[in-house]
Amino acid sequence: MAVILIVEDDVFIRDLAELIIQEAGHETLLASDVAEALLILNTPQTIDLLFTDIYLKKLVNGGLELAQHAIKIRPSLPVLYTTGNIISEDMKKLFVKFSKFLSKPYTLLQLRESFQVLLKN
Amino acid sequence: MSESRLSEPTDAGISASEIMETVPGALIILDINLNIKFANRAFYQTFRTCSSETEGCHIYELGNRQWDIPALRTLLENVIPNRKSVEGFEVEHDFPFIGHRTMLVNARKIVRRGQHGSILLAIDDVSEERAARDDSKRAWQLTQSIVDTIRDPLVVLDADMTIVKSNRAFLTIFAISEAETRGRRVSELGQHQWDVPALRELMERVLPENKPIESFEIEDNFPGLGRRVFNLNARKISQPGNHSHRMLLVFEDITDRKQREQDVQCLTNEISHRIKNNLQLIVGLINFEARSTDQPNAQGYRAMQARIMAIAQLYDLISQSSRGGAISVGSYLGEIAKTISASLLGESSNIKIEVDSERLDIDPDRAVPFGLLVNELATNAIKHAFPNGVGSIHLRVEQVDRQIELTVTDDGIGMRGRNPIGLPEKRGFDYVTIFVRQLGGVILPSRPAPTGTTVRISLPLLMEGSTN
Repeated sequence: MAVILIVEDDVFIRDLAELIIQEAGHETLLASDVAEALLILNTPQTIDLLFTDIYLKKLVNGGLELAQHAIKIRPSLPVLYTTGNIISEDMKKLFVKFSKFLSKPYTLLQLRESFQVLLKN
Repeated sequence: MSESRLSEPTDAGISASEIMETVPGALIILDINLNIKFANRAFYQTFRTCSSETEGCHIYELGNRQWDIPALRTLLENVIPNRKSVEGFEVEHDFPFIGHRTMLVNARKIVRRGQHGSILLAIDDVSEERAARDDSKRAWQLTQSIVDTIRDPLVVLDADMTIVKSNRAFLTIFAISEAETRGRRVSELGQHQWDVPALRELMERVLPENKPIESFEIEDNFPGLGRRVFNLNARKISQPGNHSHRMLLVFEDITDRKQREQDVQCLTNEISHRIKNNLQLIVGLINFEARSTDQPNAQGYRAMQARIMAIAQLYDLISQSSRGGAISVGSYLGEIAKTISASLLGESSNIKIEVDSERLDIDPDRAVPFGLLVNELATNAIKHAFPNGVGSIHLRVEQVDRQIELTVTDDGIGMRGRNPIGLPEKRGFDYVTIFVRQLGGVILPSRPAPTGTTVRISLPLLMEGSTN
């Protein structure tokens, strides 16, 4: 079991992701934007994985920026990025070291597999 | 100097007259009274006269006084008496038979002890060079006036990269005077915004290698203009009438265009974000339904989920390949094959998908059903044709008369001896029928083959006038 911080601006998607992840046996923490996520990241709360949407409330690269901040606070934190938008090569260059990308829409199976890969490392 | 003296050999054994006849330019010798003592063959040929009409004649009387030219009078009467020699004295005149001529005259006074002096005139007919120079000047003036009417800022550079001419648009936009630009390098202008090593390197290759610069983009803050983006294009130009080359450097302000492109991209991102979130919601809900239902129904839910995923992927492919216009069928099929391989097969799979397409286009409206059709046929083959996990699938599109033919072939176990009714692939084929009908096509009878399955579908051209 791991603690996963879900950062997603769409409330339905966030709740659905929470249900899926909890049913997979993980604990969840929720944030809707970069600021909320950073507040949680700055607490002593255990966080094993950051699962973030890239496009966050008008910030086209919000999730990418959040992950950059997150690894300054927690250097070994693995990150799973997701977005429905097309990922350019320039955006890929901004991915943190321990990370994976999952395109929306994703299935439960894809989500579980991605968590497994990232948490195993 | 008499003609007999001219014929006397010099110390080198050659007479002066022989030398004068050999010289290609026109030469005449006058006595002190300006009577012609001698003229060479080149003079006779150039001015269409002969020795009998010329020798002994006063220069002004020659050829019905056509040599009575004010400029020549000035040279002979005012300049020569006071100087030993004159070079490059320009004389222009309309001759009755040979027309307008421009001549460069070199004159030398020759004085021998105990004799009256002589005057040697070397006359170089430079009419053609002068005409060419005038043409060149006129052409250049015309070029300059055209350059001034062009709305994009531009400069003309000399071979040493210094500015020869800036057009009005350049001076206005960059608030600079012609005098401030002339003789300076582009990299020295303004606040050195153009001083970019990559640009300098490209510019240095334009003239020697005749290698134009196409769309070199520079974004910077420009005084009085703010943040601007310019596209620089440069090419070699040849100045008519001479062999020197210059460079035309055009600055296209693409700031507004870039802004529009960014706005479109933002809008596309926003729409894509919403669509994908909605699809994510549907996929998530189906996931939950599938988990709380019995196995046969769950399989149907999963198939539905896979088709929604396929639509989402096709949406991305269409956005990437079309940018609002026609989509190349070949590259679209290639992307579909890649996506199916990545999602259903993986890198280590022994099932390969090959694509072979003629150059045809498809409009974005019909791209989704077409993509779903291909996706359904290829997915069916992957799921059912290769129980041992080895084989290949071939996707082919070709034009046949006014139709296109889509052929999906696999080298798997085939359908022979199996009744398709009740097989799992039957449902997938129902979807194929729906997509074919949506595209206005028909499923063609398959040719018998020893192994594998072939599905041939004839469709109307996917885009009118689509053949390239």
